[in-house]
Amino acid sequence: MLSPVNISMESLNLMTLAPMLIPIIGALLILVMDLFKSGQDKSMYVMISLLILGIDFAALLESAGVFTKDGTVTGVFDVMLIDGLAILSQFIIVGASMLFIPLALTQKRFHEFAYPEFFALFLFMIGGFQFMVATDNLILVFVGLETASLALYTLIAMHNRDKSFEAAIKYFTMGALAAGFFSFGSMVFYALTGSIEINQIATVLAANNYADIGFVLVGVVFMLASFGFKLSMVPFHTWTPDVYEGSSAALAGYMSIVPKIAAFVVSMRLFEFLIHSGVVWLEVVLYISVVITMTMANIWALVQTDVKRMLAYSSISHAGFVMAAILIGTTQSNSALFFYWILFSFTNLGSFTMLWISRQKNLPAGQSSDHSFEKFSGLVKTSPLAASIMGLFMLSLAGVPPFALFWGKIYMISSAVTGGYTVLALIMALNSAIAGYYYLKLIVYMFMKEPVIVHKGDISATNATLSLKTIIGFAVVGTIFALIVANPLLEFITTFVYNSGY
Amino acid sequence: MLDHILSILIFFPALAAILGFVVHKDSMRSYGVAVSVIEFALALFLWYSFDDGVAGMQFMEQMALIPAFGINYIVGVDGISLFIVVLAAFFTMIGIASLTDTKDVKNMIITLLFLQMTMVGVFFALDAIVFYLFWELSLVPMLYIIGAWGGPRRIYASVKFFLYTFAGSLVMLVGMLFMAYFYYQATGQWSFALLDWYRLILPENYQLWLFVAFFFGFAIKVPMFPFHTWLPYAHGQAPTIGSVILAAILLKMGTYAFIRFSLPLFPDAAVYFMYPIATLAIIMIIYTAMVAYAQKDVKQVVAYSSVSHMGVIVLGTFALNVEGISGSIFLMIAHGVVSGALFLLVGVIYDRRHTKMMDQFGGLASVMPRFATIFGIMMMASVGLPLTINFVGEFLSLLGFYQQSHILTLLAGVAIIVGAIYMLSAYKKMFFGEVTIEENKNLPDVNKRELIALIPLVIITVWLGIYPKPILGPINTSVESVVQLMHEKAQTDEAKKRIPNLAEDVVVIKTSQREAH
Repeated sequence: MLSPVNISMESLNLMTLAPMLIPIIGALLILVMDLFKSGQDKSMYVMISLLILGIDFAALLESAGVFTKDGTVTGVFDVMLIDGLAILSQFIIVGASMLFIPLALTQKRFHEFAYPEFFALFLFMIGGFQFMVATDNLILVFVGLETASLALYTLIAMHNRDKSFEAAIKYFTMGALAAGFFSFGSMVFYALTGSIEINQIATVLAANNYADIGFVLVGVVFMLASFGFKLSMVPFHTWTPDVYEGSSAALAGYMSIVPKIAAFVVSMRLFEFLIHSGVVWLEVVLYISVVITMTMANIWALVQTDVKRMLAYSSISHAGFVMAAILIGTTQSNSALFFYWILFSFTNLGSFTMLWISRQKNLPAGQSSDHSFEKFSGLVKTSPLAASIMGLFMLSLAGVPPFALFWGKIYMISSAVTGGYTVLALIMALNSAIAGYYYLKLIVYMFMKEPVIVHKGDISATNATLSLKTIIGFAVVGTIFALIVANPLLEFITTFVYNSGY
Repeated sequence: MLDHILSILIFFPALAAILGFVVHKDSMRSYGVAVSVIEFALALFLWYSFDDGVAGMQFMEQMALIPAFGINYIVGVDGISLFIVVLAAFFTMIGIASLTDTKDVKNMIITLLFLQMTMVGVFFALDAIVFYLFWELSLVPMLYIIGAWGGPRRIYASVKFFLYTFAGSLVMLVGMLFMAYFYYQATGQWSFALLDWYRLILPENYQLWLFVAFFFGFAIKVPMFPFHTWLPYAHGQAPTIGSVILAAILLKMGTYAFIRFSLPLFPDAAVYFMYPIATLAIIMIIYTAMVAYAQKDVKQVVAYSSVSHMGVIVLGTFALNVEGISGSIFLMIAHGVVSGALFLLVGVIYDRRHTKMMDQFGGLASVMPRFATIFGIMMMASVGLPLTINFVGEFLSLLGFYQQSHILTLLAGVAIIVGAIYMLSAYKKMFFGEVTIEENKNLPDVNKRELIALIPLVIITVWLGIYPKPILGPINTSVESVVQLMHEKAQTDEAKKRIPNLAEDVVVIKTSQREAH
């Protein structure tokens, strides 16, 4: 005899779902509009997406207000977990998406933007990432991750280059493997603890004092591998440069930011308690993979001949740099992760957008790839402004003060110092020096060499429109004036991270 | 105005550089000269309003940047930094005024003005992060100057310059973060303010590590042996103006930072490392002097001699007493004037003949008498002839180190004689003998524009050589307070012994005065 389920709607706290549902409803709206009248111009879809993301952002502000007042909120049978990490990462996800979507308004026609599905999938993806970060439940993480990833594979495949299909398939295969690892890892944890909620897992494991450490390690290995793929940690990084090369520059820039912050948040939730409970083995493995990711990616980046591939490796290296925060595991380091990633979003999206605006429809003779170094040779002669802006982004990525990433970098290295990881701090500093070389290489090409490929007209503006230029303007302002916002931003982030108990 | 004069001095050139983008390229040179003259006048005004009797910081300004992390914009000036800033303003001025016909003169002047901002900023900064900010930022304009206007291997030279310094300063940055963390542990507050750090007394083993971390950053900049290899390349490929600024000002950042950071923050470590560093400095003096002797390119001779003299500056700094440190600061000014002038002179002859090889010259004294005279004076100054500016600095530096070690000082003194050998032989090759090469017979002597740059330098060289007091006075006052601070902070007996206690001396003098009455 089953008793009727009796739950008050109050306790479900459905408002916690609002920020995730907004993009999903928006995506459905776009599909419905296409049913009524197809063949609309992309500009309308862009603006609708932008508006929906704007509403999403406002909803996030609302939940940030709730968090400041009441602390962490759970909802929907405690599946949703709206804490500081969830809110901060959603801010980054939605903010970066708002900077990304106007990049569809290009001068040249790219056929992916002609489909309304592109925008619908894009919004689904955002919804997926938002679910992924705003929960403690491994199943919901999985669902969010897959929703987002499947949408992302399709977005990549829609670009009009042969390599795009290759990239999408490659990403899909690797992603499927990662999903398998993830589900297997979750299974091990479920078998051990009878729960799929991370905090429950932590409690149970702590209660029996890590008796089954062998099985815990098996679970950790699978989880680590799965997030290794998503975060493109060495040696799970091999898909990254090819996928970035195959997708459009704008999407590559987006991929270097948004999926990663989502994966960072989940791995922060999962690995933090394991590291703090003294699973030494995990600490060692994380230490090694952080160092290898930073260093090897930097070394590979040195030998690239294509700017986009170079930036792909550089973003792997940045991810490794930021992964150190999870290893260190103090409030300062976790705040540094968000601080760094916000500043990184501006600069990295900016530099990928600079590639995007210089994208030609077809490759001219003598140019080996879409964004080879030769293409930027002597850029300062033909368009000094574009060269200066690109140089600015490169200096910021290299960590030259007073530009954005420098502040993230010192805060991150400082958190290593305070966390007692002296050697790691030195390795991070020296890696920044190695990275200086390949960022400098582009500057050398732009400012100190003569043009080698004769372009018709202004190479930097073949694909430029007002909206693309506006986005670059945002990125430039964010990069140069990071110093002014650094203090309020840092205080905001630290409060949120601290109040979430990380 | 006096409340904000330091900020004005720092940011005026930057503002002017930004506005300079609008100026038409034909008028750019006049614009640059006007801006740099105003900047120099401001610097002189700062000197005029500077109170010689005060040992501490003056005209301090403070503004919060990232208070959550203890980063503040703090600037101030004392006797140690004042004259280097005046020198920086002066060299930018004559550098722009004597700028020969270069391509893209507009970009060059804008870059120079940005460079000036960073140079002035480094010497005024009293917050470690602000210091680091200007320190790193100064690399970018210099990279561009070498990379865009340099010789055939300019890209290699400029990238090498950038990466060497960048790598060194990142290690230094880690040191700074540690220093701030120790301050946080001691007081519960983050701070990167130098004056706060001065009050912090660290255990000796911490000092040693931090000293090493800072040392990497500074030593590469100086550049000390064995980190000096980037400099000959940079000088060899840089355009004249780049070499002048590099030798006259940028290298001084390293030696200045030793005095500003390493000595007062880590007095015990400074004593601990005194002999190793002095040994390095002497190797640097002797080795580079010998290398200079073997050069065929006159610019390389000047470059290596410049490294060699930087060794004397380091030696004086690590004498750890008032004479040595004051002498090294004075020698920084002197070295700036003299090596800057020598690079300008090499530039003069390079513009006429487009070669720097000494075997292409010979007998120039008869063709270009004025040039030969000025070159002669500057060369004598470089060698350290009494009554020239270098002599005062070298003498004081060596005098200071003599109190620490007789033998090492003797070696350094011998090395200076080697300096005389290579300089005189270079002079002989270029200026004496018969004019053998046809092209050299009708070379025009120095023209008016070049004289504008060179004459003031000659006057300063001789004037400060005869009467160094106006500069030495304020330097001495500030150095005394630094040395006293070091003595008070020192913990080991060795350090207490090596670093003189000035307060005691004052008491002694006063008692003896009383007894004399």
